[in-house]
Amino acid sequence: MHIHELNPWRTLIALSIFVIILVIGFLTMPKPQLTFEKSISESVDALEESEAYFYPWQLEDIINDKPDNVVLFDIRDNFIFGQGHIPGAENLSANVLSQKDNIERMKELRDMGVTVVLYGEDELQANGPWMLYRQIGFNNVKLLKGGYSYFKAHKDDLASTKNDEGYKTGLPRYDYAKMAAPKDGAALNIESENKPVQIRRREKTNVAAGGC
Amino acid sequence: MNRNYIFLTILMIILAAGTVFLTMDSEPKQIEPEELLQEIIQPTRYVSTDQVAKMIIQGDPSLMLVDVRSEEEFAKYSLPRSINIPIKNLLSDGNLGYFGVPGTKVVFISDDDIKADQMWVFVKRLGFGSTYVMKGGLNCWMQTIIDPERPSDDAPYKDFETYTFRKGAQMYFTGAGADVPDASKIDVLVRRREKTNIASGGC
Repeated sequence: MHIHELNPWRTLIALSIFVIILVIGFLTMPKPQLTFEKSISESVDALEESEAYFYPWQLEDIINDKPDNVVLFDIRDNFIFGQGHIPGAENLSANVLSQKDNIERMKELRDMGVTVVLYGEDELQANGPWMLYRQIGFNNVKLLKGGYSYFKAHKDDLASTKNDEGYKTGLPRYDYAKMAAPKDGAALNIESENKPVQIRRREKTNVAAGGC
Repeated sequence: MNRNYIFLTILMIILAAGTVFLTMDSEPKQIEPEELLQEIIQPTRYVSTDQVAKMIIQGDPSLMLVDVRSEEEFAKYSLPRSINIPIKNLLSDGNLGYFGVPGTKVVFISDDDIKADQMWVFVKRLGFGSTYVMKGGLNCWMQTIIDPERPSDDAPYKDFETYTFRKGAQMYFTGAGADVPDASKIDVLVRRREKTNIASGGC
């Protein structure tokens, strides 16, 4: 005879308590401040959306009209920001991006429907933070194409950058295959085994020169 | 008594049904957004074309070059010993198996560095370490390794050292004009020898 057969209600009560504890545990699990809203494959596709980017010629209106619905965030260091920045931009250094009040601020801006434009010295610097914000559901965050360096070089004539290729990324600027083709007509196999020897020899000459 | 067993059975079935929802999550394991942001703002992931060239030339067995351009572009030109994983194919064909291998360094390569950096962010989000981005990408590779520019005569010695290395690398990767770089290399060496002689004479 099993023990619970003596008092069937006891088992029932114990089980109920067990289930209730489980449910309470799930409900009170701490919610992380940020969660990924887009899966990786969604984020990969989202990289192609042109509305995720901010183009240099669009800055002209921002600088002249200072609209309320667009905020420029400069993610470079405070010191470098002080040496020059896009007029009207605010400094929000990359290393304070993850601070709680800055994330709260970003959430406020998103709820107000304000477009946030991130830029760094070049496009690369702001690329990572921009991607992260898009992935955690801040669809109002845009990336300035070309970054500050491109703006600085073209600030006097931003309108003409509409037809410029200079800020575009992901393009080959050279014909790689032609440029890196073996010269002198020699069909040279890069992976041939005698190649590393040549390099070793070059290092030896360096050592010899240092000894003189 | 029997009622109890029925109750237990029902409870077990409900709990078992719960596991179905647990495995519904098809997304691979990934790190928290805060952690990812911390990683993103570190510039330590960038390696220069010179460093990559050196590792290829030395035959560094821990180096793995991952080209994130499209298949067509990869077929036209690619760096020696690089493999092709376009960003779109990251999650397919078991490509994730290339990452997180202990003792390997994965370097992402694209035309410039933006796409490589984007790939880096995705791979980092999946929690893999030891991943790097070749700064400047293949465009910079062409400028610095395949067609290096000779520094001006009053440039610091370090520039000449870099230039000598790049000329050597150029020979390695293209087999280009062995005579010209040799001449310039001897030039530099001779100059340095003279300098040390003067220094030792002064002692």
